[in-house]
Amino acid sequence: MQLVHAKSLWNRRIYTVTPKCLGVLLALVLLFSAVPVFAHHSFAAEYDVKQPVTLKGVVTKVEWLNPHIYLYVDVKDASGNTVNWSVEGGPPNSLYRLGWRKDTLKPGDAVTIDAFRAKDGTSTANARNVLLPDGRKVFAGSADDGGPKATPTK
Amino acid sequence: MYKLTLAAVAVIAVFGLTVQTFAAEPEKTSASTSIPDMSGIWQAPYTPDLTKPLGHDLPYSPLGLERFKNVVHADDPASYCLPVGPARGIQAPMPFQIVQSPGLAVILFEYQHTYRLIYTDGRAHPADLDPFRWFGDSIGKYEGDTLVVDTVGIGDRTWLDTAGHQHSDQLHLVERFQKVDAGNMKWTVTFEDPKLYKEPFTVTLPLTKQNTVLMMYSCEENEKDRGHLDATKR
Repeated sequence: MQLVHAKSLWNRRIYTVTPKCLGVLLALVLLFSAVPVFAHHSFAAEYDVKQPVTLKGVVTKVEWLNPHIYLYVDVKDASGNTVNWSVEGGPPNSLYRLGWRKDTLKPGDAVTIDAFRAKDGTSTANARNVLLPDGRKVFAGSADDGGPKATPTK
Repeated sequence: MYKLTLAAVAVIAVFGLTVQTFAAEPEKTSASTSIPDMSGIWQAPYTPDLTKPLGHDLPYSPLGLERFKNVVHADDPASYCLPVGPARGIQAPMPFQIVQSPGLAVILFEYQHTYRLIYTDGRAHPADLDPFRWFGDSIGKYEGDTLVVDTVGIGDRTWLDTAGHQHSDQLHLVERFQKVDAGNMKWTVTFEDPKLYKEPFTVTLPLTKQNTVLMMYSCEENEKDRGHLDATKR
């Protein structure tokens, strides 16, 4: 597991999609994009749109709490050191209506999270998309908080 | 026997009339106090920046422009879990429930799990508005298919939106909740604040009925943004 810059990860991604899989993915995209979620604060006040990161690692803790869920993820940096990242998602109510449940992610799950780093330089980030262990790519962030809606890899 | 029969007929007639009167009463009451049914759970499209639905910049006064140019986003009261105010509560992307009763309409917000009371019993605003700061004092009246709400006394600590548009203690809101059909309403709000805006401006958003229930939301339950926001203050 390692921290990979968004652009380099994009170049390496390969997906195999069958027609049945495509239907399921389409349904999931519709499900997870139907309702806008948000932050109770301005995106720009805390996170830097110029610092997209892709965090690839293992979930160590999930806080399914208001006003935002937090995912804690062990990620190896370029030097091989493990850093525990704190990744903020949307409010649990909004994510629940998008189809998330509190056990959608559990400690031990391998995830890849497209996110934006906090401006204060800490290992904190704001999640946008999360690639779940079962291959689903779901939105976990705050669509209309003033932050980018698209994933940093697009 | 004849007298007894007449008495019985009279009693039945009176009783029947009485029953008829009681039966007719609700219809008469209902017709005389007919108000549009707005009860249920509604949601507006999230509006973090009022210039978007407005289609242009806000009509700042010189002071308003200076305040907006120098806004520190980290100071947004919502970031500190403080009340968001009457209009921004509706602009939030969380549902709210309207409950109507004689003389009172209540808006229950999922966001911050708070509420607004809108008195529709004909009362005026109180002389002392200080106890009503943040959400202000709201009085309303029904005009056909519309609930017209007048709000003052909001104070100056809420913001109009997440983009950082602020207001003074002179803010006066006039909202129109217009029932369009069973699943749709139109919310029109006019913001009047002579200190920060040189003229009133009006924003209209659609409200759609939601097939959901209000859930719990506690801004303080696990608030962790504050430390990062303070660190990024200019």
